[in-house]
Order: sequence, then C-alpha cells, then structure tokens
Amino acid sequence: MAIPLILTALLMMAAGVTPALAHGGGIGGGDVAGGFFGGFRHPLTGPDHVAAMVAVGLWGAVLGAPALWLLPIAFPLIMALGGVLGIAGVALPRVEIGIAVSAIVLGVMVAFMVRAPLAVAVAAVAVFAIFHGYAHGAELPPGADAIAFSAGFVIATGLLHLAGIGVGLAARRPAGRVVVRLAGAAIAIAGMIFLIAAL
Amino acid sequence: MMHMDPVAAARALAGGLLHPLLAPAHVVALAGLAVAAGRAGSRVAIVAAFALGLAGGLGAIAWGVGETPANDVLLAAAAACGVLAAGLPRLPAWLAVPPAPVIGVAIGLDSPPQAISVGAAVPMLLGTACGGVIALALLAAAASALAGRWQGIVLRVAGSWLAAIAILVLALRWAG
Repeated sequence: MAIPLILTALLMMAAGVTPALAHGGGIGGGDVAGGFFGGFRHPLTGPDHVAAMVAVGLWGAVLGAPALWLLPIAFPLIMALGGVLGIAGVALPRVEIGIAVSAIVLGVMVAFMVRAPLAVAVAAVAVFAIFHGYAHGAELPPGADAIAFSAGFVIATGLLHLAGIGVGLAARRPAGRVVVRLAGAAIAIAGMIFLIAAL
Repeated sequence: MMHMDPVAAARALAGGLLHPLLAPAHVVALAGLAVAAGRAGSRVAIVAAFALGLAGGLGAIAWGVGETPANDVLLAAAAACGVLAAGLPRLPAWLAVPPAPVIGVAIGLDSPPQAISVGAAVPMLLGTACGGVIALALLAAAASALAGRWQGIVLRVAGSWLAAIAILVLALRWAG
C-alpha cells in the first residue's frame, strides 16, 4: 500500500517539478527520449540483426533450460564487449559476413533442432555476439544521450530474444515444432542472402 | 539567521528528491544495485550502506568538493553489479554489499546543486539524500519480489542488460 502511494507521489512531483541540480539532459528531456527510441529502433531496422536475435531465442527454446535463459543472459554481456571493440576502433575483419554467418548457423541449428551441449551453444552465441556488438558499437552516437541509446538498443535486442523464445516454446507441441523448424529454415535462407550481399 | 521562502524551499526539496530519478547514470546505477540486492537477498544491508555513502558524498559536495569522475564511477559500479547479478548462480552478500557505499558516494558527488544560496542548496541536498534512499528502497523491494519467481531469471536478465548498457557507455566516453 505504501509503495504505490510513494510511487504516485513521485510521479505527480515529476510532472510538476523541473530538475534543480546541475545536470544536462535528464530523463524526460528530448535528447534522452530521442536517444532511447533511436537506440530501440537500431536493431529493428537491420534485418540481419533481427534474424540472428530471434534465432538466439528460438535456439534457446529448442535447447530448453538452462540454455533457454542462459543464452539471452550471455548475449548482451558479450555483445557489449564486442561493442567496446567497435567503439575503440579495433579492427575486426568481415563483420557483416560474421553477422550473416550467425544467421545461417543459428537458423540451421533451429531448423534441424540441434541439441548442442550447453558449452558449445554458449560459445557459438558468444562468438556471434561479438560481431553484432561490434557493428552496434561502431554506430553508437557520442553525447549526452549515449545511455538512453544504449538502453534502447539493449532492450530491443532482449525483446527480440524474448520473441524468439516465445515462438520457440511452441516447439513443445507437434504442430509448433513444424513452425519452429520453418522459422529456422527461413532465418538460415535469409542469412544466405545477407552473406551473398556482404560478399 | 537565514530565512527562505517556504514555497521555494519546498520546490528545492522536491527538485532534489527527484534528482536521482532524472539523471540517467544514477538510474542505471540504482537499478543495478537493486538487482544485486534482490539476487543477494541482502536488501536492508545494501540500502543502509548506500545511505551512508550517499550522506558522505553529499557532505563532501556541501563541503565544497569540486568536479570528480563520479559519473564514470557510477557506470562502472553499475556494470559490476550487473555482471555479478547476471553471472553468478548465487550472489553472496559479501560481494553485493560493497558496491552500495561506492554508488552512494558517487551519486552524492555527482549531485552538485545549481542553487547559489545556501538556503536553497540545503533542501536540494536533503531532497537528493531522501530521493536516493527512497528510490533504491523501492527498486530493491521490487527486485526482491522478483527474486522468488522463475528462479531469479528476470533479475539475471536485467543484470545482463544493465551491465551491457553501462559497459557500452563507459567505452564510448573513454574513447571520446
């Protein structure tokens, strides 16, 4: 009872009070909102990223627990390290090819419902996460809205994983297994198209 | 004796109260600490340690400490909390509590009041102290409620996301 009351009071105050301390660009400021939505859109506008992210969730669902939640936990952390490489300007060759290959490999794993050992699955996803993070990191905008942009695209990436997990859970039913396999095949084919375009 | 318009004092207090919720790095750090508190099950110790640190940081600001790298420290501490919360199957309290005073001090040092007069600055700093502790207590309560569900997976995912955000922003700042 007390917590909702305090939250309500804070929200009411937030509506009527401007920040009184020495900071530029607080939450609610246009740059932060713009940064968040810019970051949120970022992974969604790259079909190669979307395909691979959904495939991570699908494969996690196919593998079941603990991979179901371990892959989406590991991916953002490793992706951030890839992002650091991109921001630092470390040369990583053939990034677009790496991203396309990630879609192909993950799509094939889902289409054939490959039950790889957990360590192998995590290692494979980690390698792919480096490429995706590198591509994102190289495009992060400098400035005050960097936190909002990063938050937006990490959350969007996580939601793509969740979407994949949601569809992947259908594999527990016979008809659902067909849907999941077809989704994996579609992702693998899309990955091949991305690969041809990148070569 | 110094006097101040009560309305202006209330506005200054409210501005300070909301400050931890309006600075993105503060929100990320508080959320990371709350997730760690939820996973470790040591909510009271973490909020208490944070409150002590915050009092120290705000005291230093009132004392006249100038610009510090507190904002970067906040992000680094948030990344540490996120990695600990996401990566460890069980998060012990002795690992979860130490970032709390660090984040408290850093939020305090990163909250210099814009007010020129002492009469306005004091309620702002008091508001920041109360706002920070209340915000962390609420977030930690929410995290603790989530810790018992789905084997804490939601908290581990949240920790992973928060760590990723903090690491990326730190890298961006250091590269720039």
